[in-house]
Amino acid sequence: MDNLPENLKQPMIDLLLAVADDKLMLGHRNSDWTGLGPILEEDIAFSSLAQDEIAHAQVIYELLSPLVDKTADELAYGRSIDQYRCAQIVELPDGFDWAVAIARQFFCDHFDRLRLRALSHSSYKPLADVASRLAAEEQVHVDHVDAWIVRLGKGNTDSKQRLQTALDQLSPIAPMLFEPVDHEAELITAGLYPQAETDMFHAWRDVLQHVAHEGGLALELSPPNAGAQGGRRGHHSEHLKSLLDEMCEVYRLEPGVAW
Amino acid sequence: MSKIREHPPDANGEMTSPKEGDLEAFAVFVQLQRGDPHIYAGCVDAADAKMALQFAREHYGQDQPCVNIWVVPKQAIAATEYDKDLIWRYTDQTYRLARGYAKGVREKWEKIRAKNDLDDYEKEDLKEMF
Repeated sequence: MDNLPENLKQPMIDLLLAVADDKLMLGHRNSDWTGLGPILEEDIAFSSLAQDEIAHAQVIYELLSPLVDKTADELAYGRSIDQYRCAQIVELPDGFDWAVAIARQFFCDHFDRLRLRALSHSSYKPLADVASRLAAEEQVHVDHVDAWIVRLGKGNTDSKQRLQTALDQLSPIAPMLFEPVDHEAELITAGLYPQAETDMFHAWRDVLQHVAHEGGLALELSPPNAGAQGGRRGHHSEHLKSLLDEMCEVYRLEPGVAW
Repeated sequence: MSKIREHPPDANGEMTSPKEGDLEAFAVFVQLQRGDPHIYAGCVDAADAKMALQFAREHYGQDQPCVNIWVVPKQAIAATEYDKDLIWRYTDQTYRLARGYAKGVREKWEKIRAKNDLDDYEKEDLKEMF
């Protein structure tokens, strides 16, 4: 289908905002590493991947644009904090700890790839087309971060310990990536957000554990508590406010002006 | 510059890394279209070929359409030396260029074709006479 039924429009808007907001915040956080990466080559590669995430966000905002009658810029920079739908894990600063940056990337990229894959089978044609292209690119991100997980895990006791600490720090909040947006179940039933036979959470947990174990690392993940309210319902951490204040600083000077 | 970057924290604790470094140089070759030759693009430092491919993809594969990448350990490349090894000879080597042959061959073929055409014309001509 090319047009959404009226009653599913708002849930679809929320779902697409969740996809785009995750990518925008993660890309923004990762772009802070430019010039500070652990080695020059990774500095350039990580910056390039950060740009990718922001470009992906832009594509999704443009898809949303006709549904909400707002431009991509207005969507990215012109909302109040409770209108963002990103998960809290992408809001966290990493304190320039490379292990935290890699662990956060690991949880988010795998989730993002699974979500895009599901959306590439959406009955909403414009979304399915975009999602299948983005899912292929997200695979590249996943390969990149998996290689770092295994490399740091197998590196030496120092690198392994740092990464284990980062995984332990983020694993309690990472499953909230799966917090549903309001009326998500209806999108699933309608075939707009089709789910594979294997539950997405378990597919995610299994692949993360497989990679972590290859690096000799331990990783425990439990599904989010039913009813827990987080970023997908507009409840954000204090970090998102300071992130938005800075990211939207220029836009807010004169919203809508051509720079 | 982002505010968060104004005061990046000092590294907590000493990082241990081998004295001699643990990365090696890889030469990167990119192919812009299927079937085209791979062209030398530059180098990356990486721990192994897999990592080198990941870096090369971001460094050299994004600023132009690129369909394939090779990485080769620089150590594996044997090369001549600029001042020591002579590659191009001083004597006239133009006889090696196929261009010269092509020109002569074409002229010969044109003569043969012209002669055949004449033969055919003569045959037709004779047919009419008898």
